[in-house]
Amino acid sequence: MIKAKWWIYQIGIPLVLLYAFPWFFNNAHTIHVAQTFLITYIVIVGLNLLVGLSNQLSLGHVGFYAIGAYSSAILTMTVGLNFFVSILISGLIAAVFGAIVALLSLRAKGPYLAMVTIAFGELISIIANRWVNVTGGPAGIKTSVPSLFGFELGQIQYMWFIGLLAIIFTAGATNIFRGRFGRTFTAFGNSEVASEVLGINVRNWKILAFSVSAFLAGVGGGLFAFQNQFISSTTFELNLSIMFLIAVIIGGSGTKIGPIIGTAVIIGLPQFLHNFVDYHLMIFGGILLIALILLPDGIVGAFTKLSYFKKFSSKKVNTDLGILHDDRKATIDLPDGINGKLLELKNISMHFGGLKAIDDVEIEVLGGTVHGIIGPNGSGKSTTVNVLSGVYMPTGGNLLWKGKDITKYAPHGIAQEGITRTFQNLQLFEDMSVLQNVMVGFHRHFKTGFLKNLLYLGQVSKEERYYAQKAYDLLRIVGLEERAHEKASDLPYGEQRLVEIARGLALKPDLLILDEPAAGASPKEIEKIMDVIQRLKNAGLSIILVEHHMDIVMNVCDYITVLDFGKKICEGTPETIQNDPRVIEAYLGGEEVNQLVAGTRSIG
Amino acid sequence: MELTDILKAIINGLVYGSVYAIIAQGYYITFITTKTLNFGQGDFVMLGSLIGLSTFMTITATGGGVWIAFIASLLLVIVILGICGWGLEQVAIRPLKSWHSIGWILSTVAVSMIVRNVAMLIWGRDVLMAPSPFGRAILDLGILKIRYHDIFVLVSAAVIMLLLYVFLKKSLFGKALEAVAFNREAASLMGINPRLMASIAFIIAGILAGVGGVLVGPMVHPGAFIGLFLGLKAFAVAIIGGIENPRGIFIGGLLLGVLENLFTLYSTSMKEAAAFFLILVILAVLPQGLFGKRVKEKF
Repeated sequence: MIKAKWWIYQIGIPLVLLYAFPWFFNNAHTIHVAQTFLITYIVIVGLNLLVGLSNQLSLGHVGFYAIGAYSSAILTMTVGLNFFVSILISGLIAAVFGAIVALLSLRAKGPYLAMVTIAFGELISIIANRWVNVTGGPAGIKTSVPSLFGFELGQIQYMWFIGLLAIIFTAGATNIFRGRFGRTFTAFGNSEVASEVLGINVRNWKILAFSVSAFLAGVGGGLFAFQNQFISSTTFELNLSIMFLIAVIIGGSGTKIGPIIGTAVIIGLPQFLHNFVDYHLMIFGGILLIALILLPDGIVGAFTKLSYFKKFSSKKVNTDLGILHDDRKATIDLPDGINGKLLELKNISMHFGGLKAIDDVEIEVLGGTVHGIIGPNGSGKSTTVNVLSGVYMPTGGNLLWKGKDITKYAPHGIAQEGITRTFQNLQLFEDMSVLQNVMVGFHRHFKTGFLKNLLYLGQVSKEERYYAQKAYDLLRIVGLEERAHEKASDLPYGEQRLVEIARGLALKPDLLILDEPAAGASPKEIEKIMDVIQRLKNAGLSIILVEHHMDIVMNVCDYITVLDFGKKICEGTPETIQNDPRVIEAYLGGEEVNQLVAGTRSIG
Repeated sequence: MELTDILKAIINGLVYGSVYAIIAQGYYITFITTKTLNFGQGDFVMLGSLIGLSTFMTITATGGGVWIAFIASLLLVIVILGICGWGLEQVAIRPLKSWHSIGWILSTVAVSMIVRNVAMLIWGRDVLMAPSPFGRAILDLGILKIRYHDIFVLVSAAVIMLLLYVFLKKSLFGKALEAVAFNREAASLMGINPRLMASIAFIIAGILAGVGGVLVGPMVHPGAFIGLFLGLKAFAVAIIGGIENPRGIFIGGLLLGVLENLFTLYSTSMKEAAAFFLILVILAVLPQGLFGKRVKEKF
């Protein structure tokens, strides 16, 4: 029933509108504008996926567009392929370039990322301009009239054809949006490091995001090449990239209908401004500026804020995951416990230049235990956690996991091995609901691939529902089931920490590293957090606990390692630690300090 | 290829590079204080060059001396572009709710569209000829001929860099700017108004663009549509050098200018492509630019 409705909205109505359009607006100019709208829209759908979902930035989309246009022109005219085949191939070629741009910009952020994409776009437009033998340069090259199965497509038929593709791509994009792919895109767009420790290979996912986006831009370019049976390099300039980005932002980035509205603005506005050629830029710039100031979330974003439209809100990836059950007992899924050594740090050092954040530290973590790591500020606790989770590569020593050397593993590799962590400085996926945050944690258990998600097969929705229920169960375990559909960033501090714990549990970890899980939480929340840790311990989960609150540490931990100035100063059971003079000295200062406090000695 | 050609290319490159670097310092100042920058900086440069040109021509046409005309045009450009910078911050940066999104890229682009349109209405669509206060005078060194204007640009760039450096490192304003850059909250607790600092940063950026425009005017043919190209070059320079390192930017500017002009010896298309190719290679290896700080993020 619900499924049928989906098809009506996504496919049925658009198809009818598309088919009927020429009967209402039957003049060459309007049809031409409609073609341009549909072509641009396809590009914008792709860019929205990149900018809106994954929080990346591309000011070089014109590069992919140009690659699509020229490849399809060459494949059709020189190689002699059918135009439709050549457009699809051009999309794939553009996707390859998308992957290259992703690789080049992997570590670049902010203005640096902007520059990488600008440089790519500019390079492509210079090549288009200068490689006259192939591209025709500014004078352009001719392409053929598009034909399918021997039928030449007239202007109206071509518009139908583009529209059909646009509808198909929209449906695909929508499916991507609401499934695990959209969730993963949003996740690494929100926090790369949190995605990594949940087993997401951010590099590959970025490549995927760029490739999909570039594919759509390439197809758009291919369609453009046959729109006028002519292309010239003057089309492919930086300004067009900026226009694409404007469409995404004005429409409402990350929303499903944003691209339609955004495209309508950038294509429609110039039509109205036709009579004001001399003031065109000024009017356009003015409207853009006002829109950005008044509607920072774009047109769709602004509407979804109004309560009447709230139910159409589409910023959320997916919330109707079927009914979540409360009746069955929530249980934690944990791997079989392991006795003996689970994790060994062998002479681990982490030096930053001259600073020895941790130096030659040895720790053994036994299976099924809660191992505390404590120490004063600056003792190297956080660095140790960062090394353990693969966020930092240690400068010396080895990390053995069940006897296997994992020193050189990336965070997602370590997560795949079954180690995950929470963050002292919270790293929640802020654009998602609490439930979706936890669902990302199941990343390594999801089985369905890209194509299945593109079609949103029954298998996919079954999987989604299955893990939604599992995520909900985890929330029940940490006591947050009431909050499941709230935005993660709206929760109080202590509850956000619980969300991180639930998210980590979703990975079904062998070892969970809790990095100061009680920092900033209220006493009541601390009690809750402590209770959760205690229950996890009873369930047999191995935990590394880094914490400042001594009552938690002393009550929960089986074994404790104390660090000071990057060195291990002692280890043992809580009782041993509490009575060790070195620990007391590290925390309270040595004899000197005692004398200072007692007033028997003065400074200087 | 002769040695003189290479020498000429290098000098030419240094001249262009130093202008790019001055314009790019504007990116640096606003980026450290607000984490935003003016994507339309190039159009401010264009505006500076055109206002400078018109002032210069008006004064010389009414019988004023060349140097009086030059200094008057420089002062006028400084005032007007300073105001433009302030206005930009007021309309395109401050009202945006969040600087973390990319809204500011588009809002500054929007302002640049308006600026470009205004310039087009005043000065027309075509490029103009801008005379240098030195006319076409050339210093003849035997193997090498250098235009006096080029020497003037090099010297001015050095002076401007020095002034900027002194301003940032020695003056209270400069220190306040750096404090905001280092930690916004802490700076504001110390009584520094980050909003005022943001305004000052954009005013300085506007002035730098304007002065850059006055200097570059006689080297290019100024016109309403030259902004994009100049802004892009300056942005490239800022990124190559590392946007948070003013000295890096200066070196990056000279480097890009020289390399570009050396490539011109082979072909002009190589020249255009070289800069962007270089950027892709540099950023793939050093994502913070050549001289950018590499910070290890803490989690």
